[in-house]
Amino acid sequence: MALTTSAIPPRMKKRRSVTSAGATPYLFLSPAMLLLCAFGLLPILVAAFVSFTDLNIKGLANWSNVQFIGIDNYTTLFTDAAFWSAMGNTAIFVVFGVPVIIGVSLAVALMLNYSQTRFFRFLRAFYFIPAITAIVAVALIWGYLYNTQFGLLNYLLSLVNIPPLQWLSDPTLAKFSVALVAVWRATGLNIIIFLAALQGIPRDYLEAAELDGANSWKRITRIILPLMRFAIFFVTVTTVISWLQFFDEPFVLTEGGPLGATTSISLFLFLEGFRLNQFGYASAGSLVLFVIIIVATLVQLKLRKADDEY
Amino acid sequence: MKRLTGSIVAPVAVLALAAGLTACSSDGGGSSEEGGAITVWIMGDTGTAFEELAAGYTEKTGTDVNVEAIPWANLNDKITTSIASGSGPDVIQIGLSVLPTLADAEALLPLDDLLGDYPALAAENFADAVAGEATQIGGQTLSVPWVADTRVLFYRSDVLAEAGFDAPPATWDELTETATALAARGDGQYGYYIPQWDSSLPVVWTWAAGGDAVDAEGNVDFDNDGFEDMVDLYTGLYADGLVPTNSDFDQVQGFVTGITPMLVSGPYLAKSIEDAAPELDGKWAAAPMPKNVDNTSLFAGSNLGIWHNSSKVDESLALLDYLADPEIQLDWYDKVNELPTNKSALADPRLAEDPNVAVYVETLENARVVPLVPNWDSAVGQKLTDALNAIVLTGADRQSTLDAFFAETDGLAVQ
Repeated sequence: MALTTSAIPPRMKKRRSVTSAGATPYLFLSPAMLLLCAFGLLPILVAAFVSFTDLNIKGLANWSNVQFIGIDNYTTLFTDAAFWSAMGNTAIFVVFGVPVIIGVSLAVALMLNYSQTRFFRFLRAFYFIPAITAIVAVALIWGYLYNTQFGLLNYLLSLVNIPPLQWLSDPTLAKFSVALVAVWRATGLNIIIFLAALQGIPRDYLEAAELDGANSWKRITRIILPLMRFAIFFVTVTTVISWLQFFDEPFVLTEGGPLGATTSISLFLFLEGFRLNQFGYASAGSLVLFVIIIVATLVQLKLRKADDEY
Repeated sequence: MKRLTGSIVAPVAVLALAAGLTACSSDGGGSSEEGGAITVWIMGDTGTAFEELAAGYTEKTGTDVNVEAIPWANLNDKITTSIASGSGPDVIQIGLSVLPTLADAEALLPLDDLLGDYPALAAENFADAVAGEATQIGGQTLSVPWVADTRVLFYRSDVLAEAGFDAPPATWDELTETATALAARGDGQYGYYIPQWDSSLPVVWTWAAGGDAVDAEGNVDFDNDGFEDMVDLYTGLYADGLVPTNSDFDQVQGFVTGITPMLVSGPYLAKSIEDAAPELDGKWAAAPMPKNVDNTSLFAGSNLGIWHNSSKVDESLALLDYLADPEIQLDWYDKVNELPTNKSALADPRLAEDPNVAVYVETLENARVVPLVPNWDSAVGQKLTDALNAIVLTGADRQSTLDAFFAETDGLAVQ
C-alpha cells in the first residue's frame, strides 16, 4: 500500500531536488496550514493559557478580573467527583461502544457486499440515512421512542407482557439508551468505509480460496478481514476519538442526566464552561481530554503492524 | 458524536480571544443600528407579540424598536458571547434568576441616577417582591420589573370529587391525604406530580415550612428545619408511590388524562391544558399553594434592564417607562398571558374576571424571588434537585446526600 522510494519514477525524483521550486509546496500548503493554525492550533494554545487562569463571565467582561492561578484548576479537577464520574462514564462508553460500532458496521458491510442488486443498493442508502440526519430530529424521534408513558418501545414490550422500562430515567439503562442512539448514528458512515474496502479486495483471491475449498467463514477470517486491516484501523481510531468526545446524544436526550449517569467528559466540560461560566476550569478539563485523545491515538498507531505484509 | 478534535476547546478559546480583543478596543457602541432604532432582546416565543406592543411606543416617540427573540435554551450562550464581544442589545428582558449573573458580569447599566425623570418606573408602582430594593444587586438598581410569574396548585376538580374531595388540599397534610386517596384509584394512577427538573418547588416548600435558603449573613444555607420538613414531604410522596418516577413524564398529558390530577406549576400550564384539552373546561382549576407554616409561593418572572454600553440610554428608558404603564401591562397580558408587575394593573378587575387568574394574583401577594445568586439555576438549583432525586430515585442515604449538598452550596453569597 505505502509507496516506497523505489516506486517513485526517476523523473519525479529529479524534479524534487530542484531548489527553485522550494517555496511552491509551502505555497500550496499555506491556506490549509493557516486554517489549521487559526482554528486548530491557536484555540488549543489559548485554552492552555486560559486553563491557568480563573477566567469566568466576570473576566470576559473585564480582562482585569482575570487572575493567574497556576495549576489550581488541575488540582481541583482531579479532586472533583463529578469529573471522575464523567471520566468513568466516558470509559464505559468507549469500552462498550467501540467494539459494538466496529462489529455492527463490519457485519452489515459484509452482508451488504453479498449482492449488487437494486435492492442492496437501496439498503446501502437506508443504512446511511442515520449518518446524515440532523441530531435534533434524531433526539426528538428517539425521545418519543424511549418515552416511558407513550413510547413505542414500551408499547412493544407491553405486547409481550413486559412492564414498561424507564429508558432515559434509570441511571444504568439511560447509559445504554444514549449509547444505542450513538451506535445507530455512527454505523452508517463506517459501513460505507468498510464497503469501499471490501470492494477493493481483488476477486481472484476469493475465487482462488474457493477453489482450494475454503468455506465462507474461512474466506472472511483468512482473506477479507486481513485485507481490510487498514479500514478497520482507520475506523477504530476515529471511533475511539468520537467516543472520547461523546457529546451530542446525551446533550440532546438527557442533558447528562439522570443524576449525571450519562454525563460524558465533553458534556461535563460544556456544563462547567457554558452553564457555570467557569471557562478556566473547563479549559483545564479540555486540555486533559486533549492529552487523553492524543495518547489513545498514539498507542493505537504504535500497536498497528505494518500494512504491507500482504 | 463529534469528530472534530477540540470541539470543546475551540468555543471556549474563541470566547476568550473575543474578550481579549474587545478589551483592547474602545468600550462604546452596543449593537444599536445607526438609524436610531433600539434593539430589544425578548426571551422565549413572545417576540412577535412584543413587536406589536412596541408599535405603540414607536408611534409615540418615533423611535423604532428592533426585537430579537432569544429562546430560553440559548439564553446563557447568547449572554456569554455578547459579554465577550462587548456588543449587546439596548434593552434586555432578564429572567429573575439570571439577573445576578448579568450583574456579576457588569452587563447592566446602573439605573439609580436615571429613574428620577420617569415616575412610572418608581419602585412603589411595582409588586413588593420585585420592586426597588428587592431586586437590587449590591445596592444598585440594575433593572425594573416587567412581567410576573408564580406557582399555584392545579387540580382536577372532577377526579377529586369522584374520590370524595370537594375542595383542593389546603395544607400539606391534606395534600398527602388527597394524593394517597387518588393514587389508590388503581394501577398506574398517581395522586400528584413532581417535575424532577424543577428546583423552585423544593425552595418554595422550604419557605412554606418556615425555612429559608439563605442565612442571616446572606449566604446560601439550606441546613434548617423548614428544609428538612420539605425533604420529608418530597421523599414521602415518592416513598408512598404517590408520584410517577420517570423523568420523561409529560405533565400536561398526566393532568389531562387524570393520571396525575394534582401538581404545582405556573400559569403557563393553564395555557397548555387549555390548548391540549379544551373539553376539560370546568373540570380543573388553580388553587393557592397548600399551606404548612404559611403558603409562600414563588415570584418568578422577568425584569427589564439596559445594556451597560448602550448608546441609546434615553430611548431605552423611555421604552421601559412606556412598558411600565398599567394599560400596556394589561395589553401584554391579553396578548401572551404574562401577568403584570405593576400594582394597579394587578389590581385591575379585568384580571379578576378569570378565577384562576385571581388565584395567581392573590398568590403573588405572598410570593418571593429565589435568592439572587449568580448561576442560581446551575450552581444551586440543579444540585438541589440532583440531591433530592438521588434520595428518592436511587435510594441514596438521605443524611449523607444532603450533607454533601450543603457542603457544595454553603457560603455562596447573595448579591
